Amino acid sequence: MSWAQAILLARGLSRGCGGICGATVTGAPFSQVSLQAPRGLHCSAATHSSDSWLVPPPPKPPRGPTRALAPHEELFRRAPDGAQDKANFVRAVQTFGQHNVHKRGHVDFIYLALRKMREYGVERDLAVYNLLLDVFPKEVFRPRSIFQRIFIHYPRQQECGIAVLEQMENHGVMPNKETEFLLIQIFGRKSYPMLKFVRMKLWFSRFKNINPFPLPRDLPQDPVDLAKLGLRHMEPNLSARVTIYQTPSARDSTGAADATESHIVGIQTPDQQAALAHHNPARPIFVEGPFSLWLRDKCVYYHILRADLLPPEEREAEEIPEEWNLYYPMQLDLDYGRSGWDDYEFDIHKVEEGPVFAICVAGAHDQATLARWIQGLQETNPGLAQIPVVFRLAGSTGELLATSSGLEEPPPPPPEGQEEEENNQQRQQQGQS
Amino acid sequence: MQVPEEYGGLGLSNTLYARMGEIVGLDGSIAVTLAAHQAIGLKGIILAGSKEQKAKYLPRLASGEHIAAFCLTEPSSGSDVASIKTRATLSEDKKYYILNGSKVWITNGGLANIFTVFAKTQVVDSESSVKDKITAFIVERDFGGVTNGKPEDKLGIRGSNTCEVHFENTRVPVENVLGEVGGGFKVAMNILNSGRFSMGSVVAGMLKKLIEMTAEYACTRKQFNKNLSEFGLIQEKFALMAQKAYVMESMAYLTAGMLDRPGFPDCSIEAAMVKVFSSECAWQCVSEALQILGGSGYMRDYPYERMLRDTRILLIFEGTNEILRMYIALTGLQHAGRILTARINELKRGNVSTVIETISQKLRDSVGRTVNMGLTGKLGAVHPSVADSASKLEENVYYFGRTVETLLLRFGKTIVEEQMILKRVANILINLYGMTAVLSRASRSIRVGLPNHDHEVLLANIYCAEAYYQNLFTLSQLDKYSPENLDEQIKKVSEQVLEKRAYICAHPLERTS
Repeated sequence: MSWAQAILLARGLSRGCGGICGATVTGAPFSQVSLQAPRGLHCSAATHSSDSWLVPPPPKPPRGPTRALAPHEELFRRAPDGAQDKANFVRAVQTFGQHNVHKRGHVDFIYLALRKMREYGVERDLAVYNLLLDVFPKEVFRPRSIFQRIFIHYPRQQECGIAVLEQMENHGVMPNKETEFLLIQIFGRKSYPMLKFVRMKLWFSRFKNINPFPLPRDLPQDPVDLAKLGLRHMEPNLSARVTIYQTPSARDSTGAADATESHIVGIQTPDQQAALAHHNPARPIFVEGPFSLWLRDKCVYYHILRADLLPPEEREAEEIPEEWNLYYPMQLDLDYGRSGWDDYEFDIHKVEEGPVFAICVAGAHDQATLARWIQGLQETNPGLAQIPVVFRLAGSTGELLATSSGLEEPPPPPPEGQEEEENNQQRQQQGQS
Repeated sequence: MQVPEEYGGLGLSNTLYARMGEIVGLDGSIAVTLAAHQAIGLKGIILAGSKEQKAKYLPRLASGEHIAAFCLTEPSSGSDVASIKTRATLSEDKKYYILNGSKVWITNGGLANIFTVFAKTQVVDSESSVKDKITAFIVERDFGGVTNGKPEDKLGIRGSNTCEVHFENTRVPVENVLGEVGGGFKVAMNILNSGRFSMGSVVAGMLKKLIEMTAEYACTRKQFNKNLSEFGLIQEKFALMAQKAYVMESMAYLTAGMLDRPGFPDCSIEAAMVKVFSSECAWQCVSEALQILGGSGYMRDYPYERMLRDTRILLIFEGTNEILRMYIALTGLQHAGRILTARINELKRGNVSTVIETISQKLRDSVGRTVNMGLTGKLGAVHPSVADSASKLEENVYYFGRTVETLLLRFGKTIVEEQMILKRVANILINLYGMTAVLSRASRSIRVGLPNHDHEVLLANIYCAEAYYQNLFTLSQLDKYSPENLDEQIKKVSEQVLEKRAYICAHPLERTS
């Protein structure tokens, strides 16, 4: 204790110099301490206001153990070289351990570290969690007698252990043997953290593959790859073809955020191609969007190209040609159809909606980019040139432009445009509700 | 691959060997060449060889410098091992054996340097009677007198080298006797029994690849404005392939797991069941896959016809399926018979209490009872999703047990000659083993949480239902006076046909006037 006090005093004394043994140990993180010299050691609470309160806030009064809170906060200060990565985090955690043989305030330190993990990007790293559990002093919190076992021995510490495991659970990290060993060493076998650990071990392995639409654990950072992943997720049909119509060009070094070319990635199956070829050019098709698709914690916005359902009068019945199959009759000459028992056509869960011809993910949500997409689609769907395309974008501009990319057809008259606007708003509400 | 590590091999366990087999099995010729080299060629040295023999031969064999071959079949003895004519006589100075004879259809015969040859030697019994017994020898090509004929022109697995091997006065040192003199039969049996189970995983690997290729075709080809994959018959074929692959895999890995247990468990029946099932299903499934492709499946440009020809050999080599069925049934019946001997004796003597017990059991059976052997229910071994199939399995097992008792009572020792009955017994056994393997694998995958476990449950339930009804039919065929039992008629027909060695019916167009 006196060693720690001496360190703190010395640090307070030689703030400006930055040449203390403590500072040399922590090195860079302390260099910014000098800016806060006048504040003193006891007013550290003010810095925590911006932290998110996932875990209980650290106690404020400047009593013994919490006097060490300021150095803890300082341990996590951004280094001058600014790299917030695993090495710095690990160093900060280890520094705490070196400060203080008795590890005062370790509970608060661990809560703080749990909060800081996201900034440093180590929330999915098992080794870091093990290191954090290592901060607990061992063998102290194990119950030694039956009375200690009955009542929750050292409840704050057990809660803290459970908080660490809970954060592991939230980020989908599977604990391993080292975690088990640490927990046994720290809390003993019959403690609540150990119970949680055993439950995690059982259920995590069972639930690992429970997602029927699994996503890879590390999502690609490149927007084009992310777009491809999202499109494949939405259209799992293996015959669908993904086409990249435009890749993002390299930005200028002058920093002008003139993203003139953002990425456009589209997907279409051969069935959709055939349906588009059959589409009646008198009826317009609509580009709608953007709709959001969440992939883990990333959101991808996509647009679809769809048409409305044909009213029943205009639907043409499929004609089965008379002499189609050489071997067996495709159509029997009976007067009656399916009986009520075997009639599976009506499904209350399936609402008939118009055909969707293609889906695309684009970097920008304005009409120019989407027009570029339509142009790209025209290469594989030559019939698209004849069909009027109406853009119904629920974008931030709220623009509703009714243009045709075919340029042969005149644009639809404005009153129709107003109806479409109302429709658009209704659709927006439906789409976003 | 299974050569122990101290001799330079990988020392793989049976399960890992089965897994390797899955990958190797994509091409038939490669799989057969490898299997002939290590699964039967050098297995003899591993299983029955002395330390000096192992140290002398295994390192070079494991590295691939020398290739091994297994020489047992002769022109006049395929399945009938005891009638081989190759003789090995001891020379005067008792240091060499002189080997004379010829072997036929030896895989790797042209490439191999080291042969495991089985020959008849004269053995003096303990009662000092001279008998001819089979002995196993390790013969190197350098011993002289080993010649091989030209590679045979086969239907399938044309990539592997199969030829005749002739031994003319080959001098084999006495140290090269594998096992003991006269113990060749056991050595051969052990060798063949130990490599069989991997056929299940080899075939499963091939089937998986086949399903991929065929599904690619079926989902892209359109006829009558529909994809092939939308027609019911095609879907049935895919379901069949998936189901059989699943059962095969489960059976193979279950057997491999059992063999990997400490001690030397005797899993020869299980291995034989795996071999029979996988070879027959391979033939069926490849044929169906070729059918899905239609005309293009028949063309030599596609691999399907090659795979079909390669799989045809699976039913023949490593013990023909008919022989193995006899083996499965007879070994099982022997085991059952030993247990039931006591009871049968008592019945024959007319012990009143046993008779009453038997009759009451028969009465209860005829009324119909539910069998509970502890597989289903709260403390059951299987997951509730497959509980129905498990109860079907239990029922089958119970009724099979009763039927076996009846059979033994009726035939006793002479059941060896009743091949049609034994074939039915073997079929039931294979189905039961398949059901067990599939149920245990499905329960495990649900409990552990493997991906697509609901698909596995579906496959398991389908297979168990099919096997259950097949078993019931076969069991009814085993009754003596049941209308499904056509054994007598079949025997009569074959007698008449074989007497004249021709088809004896009158031609439909014949007239009497």
